[in-house]
Amino acid sequence: MVTKMDEQAKLEILQDILFPDDRGDVEDISKRIELVELIINDKKKLAAKVDPLVDDKLSAFTKSIPDTLGPTITATLKKEIKNHKDEVVDALYPVLGKMVKKYVAQEIKILSEKIDNQLGFIKGFKRKIRSWFGRPTEEQLLMRELASATIEQVLLIERDTGILKASYSVTNTIDEEMISGMLTAIKSFVEDAFHKKNQNLELIQYELYNIHLQSFVTHYVAVVISGDYHLKSKNNLQDIIFNFYYNFMAINLDLVFQSKDHEKDGKEVRTIDKELLEKELEASFANAKI
Amino acid sequence: MQRSKKIVILGHFGVGKTSLIRRFVTNQFSDKYKVTIGVHITKKVVALTSEDSISLILWDLEGTDDLDQIRDAYLLGTHGIIFVFDISRPSTFQHLKTDLQIVSRKIPDRPLLIIGNKKDLVPEDELHETLNEHAIQYNYLTSAKTGDMVEEVFLDLANLLNKDA
Repeated sequence: MVTKMDEQAKLEILQDILFPDDRGDVEDISKRIELVELIINDKKKLAAKVDPLVDDKLSAFTKSIPDTLGPTITATLKKEIKNHKDEVVDALYPVLGKMVKKYVAQEIKILSEKIDNQLGFIKGFKRKIRSWFGRPTEEQLLMRELASATIEQVLLIERDTGILKASYSVTNTIDEEMISGMLTAIKSFVEDAFHKKNQNLELIQYELYNIHLQSFVTHYVAVVISGDYHLKSKNNLQDIIFNFYYNFMAINLDLVFQSKDHEKDGKEVRTIDKELLEKELEASFANAKI
Repeated sequence: MQRSKKIVILGHFGVGKTSLIRRFVTNQFSDKYKVTIGVHITKKVVALTSEDSISLILWDLEGTDDLDQIRDAYLLGTHGIIFVFDISRPSTFQHLKTDLQIVSRKIPDRPLLIIGNKKDLVPEDELHETLNEHAIQYNYLTSAKTGDMVEEVFLDLANLLNKDA
């Protein structure tokens, strides 16, 4: 009786006789498939083969961006800037403000040096008089320290509505939302009363306190300061405000654009996170020396 | 979640704008400076649900017979408007249509509630007769003195602003 196994053996012998080349090809192909499988499964080997191709494509794509995507990007940017002009100007304001401040400071320094040179002999004379009275005592130094300007409270307020966006305060005060509204009303009243559209109320003084108001396009920052508030303190404070506002606008602009996108897909529009802003305010103003 | 909304209260002299707010808001600053700069600001948080509320920042503007004279700077960014007239004084609602046109021009596309105040001063039958006679459209008739319908006005506006947001 012929077994099934014998039939298989016979079939193989017959195959060898009839198709000797095919058998070799099949073995060759299966070896190649195994090799390809090995490369695909090994990330490093695959990367070595694919990366140069991707790099070439990416490089070609990057080079073609000005021609292919350039017009679309420019048009989108123009549209977004047009739609959010105030926000964009607001974001640029701190940067420009710093540049202008630097320029003015430099000019004042030059002017001050010129005056110093001209008044050199008076200075020497003053120094002499000061030396007759001796160096400042510890009490005098302590008094100077106590009199130095200290930040008591900071409010970030929406310019038109007077609505408080975030605040930082050393001590608890009466309702900050009402204070923000009143400050906005006073600010609007003064600016309106003098018909100076492009000028802003910058300082409110009351006895031992000063309120510095730094206006931007969509918001303004009100800082309550106790102690001796002079030009140098104002200069330092403005630097801190500009840095804070730059960070705030970066967050704000992101949200403005996200909201715009969400309008299209109908998802819930995110609003600025008050807690995040207040952390930012505290980090900027809590231990600031002005 | 709590949001803040700016509400302006407008109307002629002596229609009871400040009294309405005083009835609605319990704690507030002194309003002596209203004479100086023409506005007085108060705040009231209105609960919409157990988790949601709106903080109404109320700008009580000095009464004027010429609404065109109101400082535009005070109206910037307004979210909602309450226009108040005095039911007992026809001079405060005789030109209501014109007054409302001025308001809509100065603050376009914002929720507006028209309130007839001092209803306690006019007998019920006379009240409707007067309003019909002058074809007055209103949303609420209130009495700041008794507190009648005052809460409802602000709650209604808070809900309108919530829908509008």
